[in-house]
Amino acid sequence: MSADQDKTKERLLIICPGRGTYTSSELGCLTRYAGDADWLARFDEHRREQGLPPLSELDITHPWRQALHGRGEHAAPLIYACALADLLAIDQKRYEIVAVTGNSMGWYIALAAAGALEYQDAFRLISTTATLMQQQLRGGQALYPWVDDDWQPQPERRQSLLTLMESLHGSGGLELYLSIDLGGMLVFGGNEAGLAALLEQLPARDPFPLRLPQHAAFHTPLQAPIKTQAREAFDSTAFTAPRVPLVDGLGRVWTPWSADPQSLWDYTLGEQLVAPYNFTSAVRVGLREFAPDRVVVLGPGTTLGGATAQVLIQERWHDLTDKASFHDRQARDPVLLSMGFPEQRARLV
Amino acid sequence: MFPEPLPQERRFFDALSRDVWPAAERGLSLEGVGLTTHGLIELFESQLISRHLDLQARRLQARGEAFYTIGSAGHEGNAAVAMALRSTDPAFLHYRDAAFLIQRARQVPGQTPLWDLLLSFAASAEDPISGGRHKVLGSKTLHIPPQTSTIASHLPKAMGVAYSLGLWRRLEAEGEWPSDSVVLCSFGDASFNHSTAQGALNASGWTAYQGAPMPVVWLCEDNGIGISTPTPDGWVAASMAARPSMHYLTCDGLDLLDTWRATCEALRIARVRRQPVFLHMRCIRLFGHAGSDAQQAYLSPSRIKSDEDRDPLLVSAGHLRRLAGLSCSEIGQLYHHVRERVARVAEEAIRRPRLSTADEVMASIIPPSRLARILPWQGVSNVAPDTLARRLNQALERIMIRYPHVVMAGEDIGRKGGVYGVTQRLQSRFGPHRVIDTLLDEQSILGLGIGLAQSGLVPIVEIQFLAYLHNAEDQLRGEASTLSFFSNGQFTNPMVVRIAGLGYQKGFGGHFHNDNAIAVLRDIPGVMVACPSNGADAVGLLQEAVRLADEEQRVVVIIEPIARYHTRDLLGEGDGRWCFPDPGPDHRLPVGELGQWGEGTDLAILTYGNGVYLSRQAAIQLEAEGVALRIVDLRWLTGIDHEAVFQAVSRCKRVLIVDECRRTGSVSEELVTCLVERGMCSDRLARLTAEDSFIPLGRAATATLPSVDSILECALGLVGNAAMADKGMKTPGEIR
Repeated sequence: MSADQDKTKERLLIICPGRGTYTSSELGCLTRYAGDADWLARFDEHRREQGLPPLSELDITHPWRQALHGRGEHAAPLIYACALADLLAIDQKRYEIVAVTGNSMGWYIALAAAGALEYQDAFRLISTTATLMQQQLRGGQALYPWVDDDWQPQPERRQSLLTLMESLHGSGGLELYLSIDLGGMLVFGGNEAGLAALLEQLPARDPFPLRLPQHAAFHTPLQAPIKTQAREAFDSTAFTAPRVPLVDGLGRVWTPWSADPQSLWDYTLGEQLVAPYNFTSAVRVGLREFAPDRVVVLGPGTTLGGATAQVLIQERWHDLTDKASFHDRQARDPVLLSMGFPEQRARLV
Repeated sequence: MFPEPLPQERRFFDALSRDVWPAAERGLSLEGVGLTTHGLIELFESQLISRHLDLQARRLQARGEAFYTIGSAGHEGNAAVAMALRSTDPAFLHYRDAAFLIQRARQVPGQTPLWDLLLSFAASAEDPISGGRHKVLGSKTLHIPPQTSTIASHLPKAMGVAYSLGLWRRLEAEGEWPSDSVVLCSFGDASFNHSTAQGALNASGWTAYQGAPMPVVWLCEDNGIGISTPTPDGWVAASMAARPSMHYLTCDGLDLLDTWRATCEALRIARVRRQPVFLHMRCIRLFGHAGSDAQQAYLSPSRIKSDEDRDPLLVSAGHLRRLAGLSCSEIGQLYHHVRERVARVAEEAIRRPRLSTADEVMASIIPPSRLARILPWQGVSNVAPDTLARRLNQALERIMIRYPHVVMAGEDIGRKGGVYGVTQRLQSRFGPHRVIDTLLDEQSILGLGIGLAQSGLVPIVEIQFLAYLHNAEDQLRGEASTLSFFSNGQFTNPMVVRIAGLGYQKGFGGHFHNDNAIAVLRDIPGVMVACPSNGADAVGLLQEAVRLADEEQRVVVIIEPIARYHTRDLLGEGDGRWCFPDPGPDHRLPVGELGQWGEGTDLAILTYGNGVYLSRQAAIQLEAEGVALRIVDLRWLTGIDHEAVFQAVSRCKRVLIVDECRRTGSVSEELVTCLVERGMCSDRLARLTAEDSFIPLGRAATATLPSVDSILECALGLVGNAAMADKGMKTPGEIR
């Protein structure tokens, strides 16, 4: 962002991961990448004070268990810490971050990555919302693709999925909403009855439909009580304007100069909690409005890479037209770097 | 530094290095005008994006990668106008309003204005508004119908949309835009002088003067010069400050605070009182009219410097320093962030695909179809034969019942019922809001129609006489016909234009009431033109035209032969053979369905309109001479199915084309060409047309037009030649 910007630096769009990305294969990665970091020590200290297992302990607690590592109050801060470790590892001499976005809970991480929240404040926010959601666990989420096996968009399929959702919603106490527009997939959020009815009607496409364990119906009206509590628990004073542009879950850009911290807080603990999160739009805006040389998905894990690649294909970004052309491009000169892959991470650090 | 600085940036860098910024003339405060610090900075960001797009367009054009350099520099204050409006308020923009579009895009999440505008500069097929057909400012999502550079021709339709808002309320329904919207229409001080602009301003005042809602803000962006011609000092203000029923407000477009303040005031009047406002925004034009314009050839160095010193970006940066607490370093960072970002995105945008084939270019000339909104007919048809005027009147009445969203408009169509009585009693039945007596201004009538159509209604507008169309023809040629093309089918203005025209009125009118010049309608891509010869066909064509507008979103013109409106008889007094029964509510005559009278094969007369009537009269004598003939009625004068025409006449020995329009430019030329192209020998063909003349008054009124006698003469000549040829004799042509 400086006048004498180094043209040789590569520009990165940073994408922060959401829930479900820290799985068994990620055990140990946090301590491996940030074991001696001061900020991690502070996070751990804070958790001890709360009577919660420190993240660096969780990270090395074998085996990985859904009932432990997958619980919101553990999973969310673990994911945040891993993402932060990746972010801080990026070589600032060779890379410039032109914009930051995230998926779902990744929005909170994005706030920290872009500098709109101090790391410790983001940790507090993530812990607060995750604990509230885990305590109440209102509804759940299920995932289903609307692209074909080659990741080619199938708009008719997408429309029929949304039509099915709308036809089920409201009858016999069923609640179903679009929770996340996730590249080539739709994440539905709803109450148990709603999700059960949906899963019954969706044709099997292994491994879909996929019910996401320990997830609440994030980004749906079912979270309205959480919204109220979260706003009481976390006021706006910690928010500042970001240091680099942020793209939110509606595809709106918040710039370092004009972003209003109060509005940023209001969105984060308001609409963001109860309205659909449009990850597709966020990535699209990041690509089109900031033209990064590469897109980086922070760890832990690599699962968000698929959804991100599907957006790249939808955008025909750098002539990517399908899964095969994406893989071909990745093999030659990857446009998408997932830091959960050690070899791709190595390019950035 | 990336990208390399352009000379146009020096002034900003200089101000930045010295921290010296021009102050706005009015010392307004943020609190005083109700603007926040963040809002002010956001506006500056939009201004900067607009400016750097202008500069980048010039860089790209030099590389052959972009094709449009008419910029917005100096007009960027209109970002504040956008911020004051709702994002759903329809906006018809001046071509220097990129900052408006950028700012509005920020009010709607998920928008990518930088990317979109660069695609349009690069004429990419992915440009989301025109699909690479033109650099236009427009967006379906942002409620900005695209406008081209046609001078001020967008004002009449803006007036039409503003009128539609009240009309939809009256119809107790909602159209394309919320009924409490305000229409924003912007233009420059030079195009302000165009008759089209003046007509629309006048029409909005004329309407409001009578108490009808007209919620429109006319934004005159006055930079003081039109290409090289200065606007006289004070001219716009002197013209507009005391217009009846028009509120006049001014603002300094170089000052975001003042522009915001004045726009809020304008909106208060337009939205609450539903009256038109003329917002006169002073601004400047920087860097010439376009990239190719060397303004130093006609502006003094001191004038150019003076303008550069008043650059709105400098004034805004001064606001940021004084009112928002930004440091020079922060302003500099922001400036460079935007310029680098624009350059980076440009490199991606120019890689996107472009249109290459004619099919791709033409794909959006014809709009997409939509669901029909016709109601079932439950009335009774009048089967008693009647005249063309009466048939049309009854068909219009039926259409008004079956299509509750059809609205009629034209001069004298209401209380008087039309000059020829075609619209009699319709206003009393359907109300003055659905049968609108307009002012005497064809540009405004067509503009009203376009605006009503864009808002979701289906207008049937009437041009009282064909000759009156010609001063307003650009509303069809430059506006109505192009909207789908330049918006990739996203915006449409389907409507039916009824025009009383053609010659043969006995002893009335001269040229201006008997005009036979329709060539201007026939070469407009996408516009359909029909011409009935009798009352039954008129019903079929009108009902099909309304269906085409309602379902296929087409613009359809019907030329109604005035001389046949009240014709009852064909051959003799009282025979009643030109009166026809109502063919019924479901009778439609689609394009390509030719009319035919007779099955003879000696001669085919290919004609339309009055030509059918005259040929039918001639037929009696021709038959008496032993000529077996057929008369083929084209009915549609565009999109002619030439294969069907060829099939209809090819078995006839001779073909006579009778065309009441001029020899030059009439449909007869196309008919001859297409018949010959299909293998018809030119010896078998002849055409009888009107002379290349205007229509005189009095007894000579038909002297230049085809007549029964001249048809007979030509027909017999042709058939005679055929007979001679049959006997192996040389024809007169061959002898010569």
